[in-house]
Amino acid sequence: MLELLYASLGLSVAGAVLALVAGRSPRAAKAVACVFGMLAALASFGSGAIALTSPAALVTFVGPMPFTNFTLLLNPLAGLLMCVISVLAFVAWLYGLSYFDEYLDRGMGSIGFFMNLFIASMMLVILSDNAFWFLVFFELMSLTSYMLVIVEQNEKSFKGGFLYLVMAHIGFLMIAISFFLMATATGSLEFESFREAAFEPGLATAAFFLAFFGFGAKAGIVPFHSWLPQAHPAAPSNVSALMSGGMIKIGIFGICKVCFDLLGAAGGQVSWGIVVVIIGAVSSVLGVAYALREHDLKSLLAYHSVENIGIILLGVGTGIVGWASGNVWLAGIGLMAGLYHLVNHAMFKGLLFLGAGSVLHATGTRNMEILGGLARVMPVTAVCFLMGSLAISAIPPLNGFVSEWFTYQGLIGAAMTDDILLRVVFAFAVVALAITGALAVTCFVKAFGVTFLGEARSDAARNAHEVPLPMKASMVLLTVICVALGLGAAWFTPLFSDIASSVLAAPAAPAATGAVLVSLDTASAVSPLLIFVLLACVFAVCLLMRNAANAKAGVVRDEDPWACGYAPDTHMEALASTVGAHVGSNLTPLYTLRSGVNGAGNAVANFVQHAVAPEDAAADAAKGAQDGATRPLSDSVLSVVHSLGTWFSRLESGDFRTYIVYIVVALVFFLALIILVR
Amino acid sequence: MEIVVAIVQALLLVAAAPLMSGIARKIRAKMHSRQGASVFQDYYDLAKLWKRTEVRAGTAGLVTRIMPPLFLATFVVIAAGLPLITRACPVPLLGDVITVLYLMALPRFVFSLASIDSGASYTSIGGIRELIVGVLVEPALMLVLVVMALACGSTNVGTMATSVATFTATPPVAVVVAGVAFAIACYMEMGKVPFDMAEAEQEIQEGPLAELSGPSLAMLKLGMSVKQAVVAGLFIALFLPVGAAASMAPLDLIVGFVALIVKMLVVFLVVSVIENAVIRVRYKYLGRYTWFAVGIAALSFVFLIIGI
Repeated sequence: MLELLYASLGLSVAGAVLALVAGRSPRAAKAVACVFGMLAALASFGSGAIALTSPAALVTFVGPMPFTNFTLLLNPLAGLLMCVISVLAFVAWLYGLSYFDEYLDRGMGSIGFFMNLFIASMMLVILSDNAFWFLVFFELMSLTSYMLVIVEQNEKSFKGGFLYLVMAHIGFLMIAISFFLMATATGSLEFESFREAAFEPGLATAAFFLAFFGFGAKAGIVPFHSWLPQAHPAAPSNVSALMSGGMIKIGIFGICKVCFDLLGAAGGQVSWGIVVVIIGAVSSVLGVAYALREHDLKSLLAYHSVENIGIILLGVGTGIVGWASGNVWLAGIGLMAGLYHLVNHAMFKGLLFLGAGSVLHATGTRNMEILGGLARVMPVTAVCFLMGSLAISAIPPLNGFVSEWFTYQGLIGAAMTDDILLRVVFAFAVVALAITGALAVTCFVKAFGVTFLGEARSDAARNAHEVPLPMKASMVLLTVICVALGLGAAWFTPLFSDIASSVLAAPAAPAATGAVLVSLDTASAVSPLLIFVLLACVFAVCLLMRNAANAKAGVVRDEDPWACGYAPDTHMEALASTVGAHVGSNLTPLYTLRSGVNGAGNAVANFVQHAVAPEDAAADAAKGAQDGATRPLSDSVLSVVHSLGTWFSRLESGDFRTYIVYIVVALVFFLALIILVR
Repeated sequence: MEIVVAIVQALLLVAAAPLMSGIARKIRAKMHSRQGASVFQDYYDLAKLWKRTEVRAGTAGLVTRIMPPLFLATFVVIAAGLPLITRACPVPLLGDVITVLYLMALPRFVFSLASIDSGASYTSIGGIRELIVGVLVEPALMLVLVVMALACGSTNVGTMATSVATFTATPPVAVVVAGVAFAIACYMEMGKVPFDMAEAEQEIQEGPLAELSGPSLAMLKLGMSVKQAVVAGLFIALFLPVGAAASMAPLDLIVGFVALIVKMLVVFLVVSVIENAVIRVRYKYLGRYTWFAVGIAALSFVFLIIGI
């Protein structure tokens, strides 16, 4: 499996360099980057898939200096992340074959270069087993993805990119301090030595929380989430899929690695899990609530990443509580649910971002308010986006439901202890997850309905066309994976259980028998496959009956809806803002919270901007002055009238003495006039 | 035998659902001192609609076409899994509370989507309101179910029903208070006055249904009646397991069947009286009432923690 891994990394680097070399001919650069990227993704998927069920492989490469020794660890958890990123990378490149046509004049060579390096650096972060190299590759991952965020080269992308860069480095700093704390205690940068060291509880807690918030900034937990809705939408859509589906999962991977692996010998504490669960619950509710107010399809999806990271953390947090308190079942089901949701989210979020990219490709806009009616002109995209929406809304029997079901079972199982604090925290988490689920349904009815259904509200939407074959193929591939992870859950669950047990170094609790998913401590079971079969059968019967009745009595197609007798108009349709306003009026407190949370992130970014680049700030000020000089004519006329008015207003100040002066002046003037005329 | 029970109770709910709304209509008439239509009026309406030509809006696509059958089918599947005639779930794999709640999201999803699909503003607003009601009711429902899961040691509705029926669900006061909260939440979920938000304006009367006609409208009307019966059934299953069959013996099953019909009638009688005794609440004030339900659910959780 390591040969495949080396082949994959080699292909990525070769693709990157060749794309840069071929940069003069953008078409060639695109083809080279995409083909090499796809081959690299296939190789790394193979390597990751083998690693899922193989014993961990540890390889050390000796460098010229002791601290540069590179250690590589390929264990089942790393294999899982590799598989996820490989699948996303493959579909992103496949999608790019057509999608990058729009980027040919925007430096296709460097896009190919940075995207290949971005994927390779994500793989290397996952595999590094040495603090120095981990941080190097983590930084490389942040920089290459930053370059992809600012591809559009407009003010919005620079702003989003800068915020992202600042947040990534705040996270980087915290992770670095966490690693250095452990390195100082052990005297080595190798993770292997961290793993064996029994850190004292205070140090372990400090290291854990630094790493949790550091990786959390990368993953987009509240309150470090403000960069996601600004940076992810700015990148090309397939890169957004890769970032939102893949890169933020590295944050979750890092949290798991530090907690269960590096601090494994030190042992965890229940309080860590409680903090993780609370942050997860808050992130999930706020993420989806803010998504509801978005009109921009890609920003909406980016906020949903915050929500789903929250749901994953609910699972991981449950796992930490179970692991720290020695409850093997709870640890197993919690972590398994988290990992399952990690994979699911990568798949459906990748799918949805690609769908949003197709909408952008076909209409040139991401603003849902002026779309509508796309389902008729883009049927494949519409069906794929609908499946993705159903999956992310956790509708049974799709994959989102499966992982949320396990998450619920874990949370309820954790609440079954006698500890009052745990009971309250986990009951709160269950309710938060329920609110999240209901809001997610609302949000995706809005996202899909307003974009794809109803009547087209602009020429852009009316003249839309279905996307080319490679883009369709990549969306269909992800849709198939989402359905398979849902219906075939009973066959995938043991795989996730085994990975969780290898991470926890504990025996796996059975979570699936036959075609049935089971939850032992809450004594419950579910079978997505059975639900699907029953639903399909009853639905087919109902549909046939209805259609038979229709066939008998006939169906008339009326051009316009009835609309209670009013003449229907596209201005009367439900918009994204309609849904947003309805939700907003009922959940006002959540939105007042928002400006504070988002404002803090922007304030930090602005502060850093002034600190690192005062000349930029000065340039901004100069730009403002220049704006004043080049004001349009109408503005200068206005300003003259305004200053005249100000001057005249001084004449009539309202003071009676001034009026006496006027009368005296007028009297003198007229007297002088009479004398002069005489 | 379990399969037969599941099919029988699903069919019973489908067959009896229009009767329940017919009875509600009759009670309303009596409370208004009117004669009122026959209790079977809803069957006549459905039969009439079933024979009519269907008119579809030009904008309406696939979602509108599949919505009525999918809506009905989902609630039929849920009805088959609930412990209505028996104490245990006839199909345990459908009896997990999380599964039931999330299955109920599927019809809501397509229902609201179809309302936007029609392209008419009144239907869309009705559909969105339906979603908001879901958002506001969900916390209370889920908190009650958490309390029940902790009190009964399982998230399976059948296990919960059995432990309520045998008085082994502890602590008892928490369970009773949870039952009150659940009753309120179910009442809201059923969409009865004062919470029939989807159709709360003069122009939005039967809002999301406005663009449907003929057999599709008939099927959706039936589906909505079945939904009300299923939500009532969920309450009956969890908190009123009186008379439900403890075993699969034929006599027990017959008693359970009769008991189910009686319980359904009682629940719908109470619901109809409440519905006709109150006025509609303004949509924007809905949140205040749902917080009340959440508050009672939270109270039951507190009782659970302090163990009374």
